[in-house]
Amino acid sequence: MHHCYVVDAANAPWKRSASEGITFACQVLLSGEDGGPEAMRFRFDDCPSVYAHMHLTSQFQLLLKGCMDFPRGVKHLEALAIHYTDHNMPYGPFAVSGGHEMLVLHPRAGGILSMANLEARRRINLTGRLFASLAADAEWQPLPGVDDARYKLLMPPDFGPAAVVAQVPAHAALAMPAPVYGRYEVVLEGSVIMAGQEIGPPGFRYVHGEQAAEPLMTGASGASVAFMSFDADAQEGGITGEGLAVEAAAAMARAI
Amino acid sequence: MTDIQETVKPFRIAVFADFVCPYSYLAVEQIDRLSREYGIQPIWRPHWLHPETPPEGVPRECSADADARVERRNAWMKEMAPEQFERMRFPDKRQYSFRAFEALEFAYDCGLDFAYAAALYDLMWTQGRDIGETGTLLAAAEQSSLDPAGLKTALDEHLYAQRAFDAVHQAREVGIMNTPTIYLGRTRINGWTYYEVLQSVMEKQGLRPREAVTN
Repeated sequence: MHHCYVVDAANAPWKRSASEGITFACQVLLSGEDGGPEAMRFRFDDCPSVYAHMHLTSQFQLLLKGCMDFPRGVKHLEALAIHYTDHNMPYGPFAVSGGHEMLVLHPRAGGILSMANLEARRRINLTGRLFASLAADAEWQPLPGVDDARYKLLMPPDFGPAAVVAQVPAHAALAMPAPVYGRYEVVLEGSVIMAGQEIGPPGFRYVHGEQAAEPLMTGASGASVAFMSFDADAQEGGITGEGLAVEAAAAMARAI
Repeated sequence: MTDIQETVKPFRIAVFADFVCPYSYLAVEQIDRLSREYGIQPIWRPHWLHPETPPEGVPRECSADADARVERRNAWMKEMAPEQFERMRFPDKRQYSFRAFEALEFAYDCGLDFAYAAALYDLMWTQGRDIGETGTLLAAAEQSSLDPAGLKTALDEHLYAQRAFDAVHQAREVGIMNTPTIYLGRTRINGWTYYEVLQSVMEKQGLRPREAVTN
């Protein structure tokens, strides 16, 4: 069965909110309430320490503007950058600055658990993966089959989850393999035709299924698109009826 | 008759760390608690983060970037280990670790490497002492029931320098990249983590807290 969601971020309302004293603006772009993907766009106010937390699903964070600094581990990220975590993989505390904006992309509703919660610490995924990279650190390579198009890999090709940015001229088709575990396709620049709609940044499509999705068509001024594909970890975790998961879902609902 | 206890490797807790690493200081209390809770004596091994540091140390970088890094590190520590952070005193220079590693080897031969490491971390990170100075190394010996006179001789005559060097080399050989790196039996944990994670790792390998076993 093939699932496809198209989101035009320009049409979603913004809401000011706070979580554990951290203030931000947020758009809920996909709620995950139908069992499908959950996606949010956040603009955090500058903050030296966003509290350590984890989500109960795999997650891509796509940093669109500003900076995120992790004193331990992945260090300094500045847009454009990605940060990937498996389900139940904690990260932070981290600092945000410089007009921060990011997309938070889950294959399903993931909730949020502060790592101040001792029970949450006992549920940490001990083999969980965490990966982060800056687009500026990756080299452009020619995209085979499309004139004047290029791409760069943001994650190592054998890592599991994959992330690639493609820059393609006007009216070109972008075909990708079947999104077996789900894939977000985010417009970074220009525009893309998705399901008959012209979508600009940072709108996106989420596709999931055994068959290849309909190729994206770039608009009149071409496009840059980030493709972020989950792997089997996307099937793990999630919001079950169990106590901590319920708590995680409630915490996310309060936050957004 | 075969005694199965003799065929099973003893469970080991080994920590690779550098005294100048504040995250390793945070791990000391955790490892102490873990060793008491599970009745296992930990082994403390050196990993030299900054072998380029001269014996007199290196002053901290003064720049806006460095200040921003310090602010972020402090925010991290304040959230992750608030009680310890309140006690911590951050040195104004990067200190020289190697003589402390020599002292650690001496302590290891006396079965007091963890006690010695804990005392030395405390002197550096809560009392503002310099681990590059012999007086600090001897003070830690006194606090950990180690013979200060014996340690002084060992340091003066560099009796453990080669062993300390070999230990540092060994850490690199096994691929230690960051500190603390904690081995709990078969599991390697890179970097500081929550105490509850250490407990989970122990329990996944079949260990139970002593209190639970007694009950």
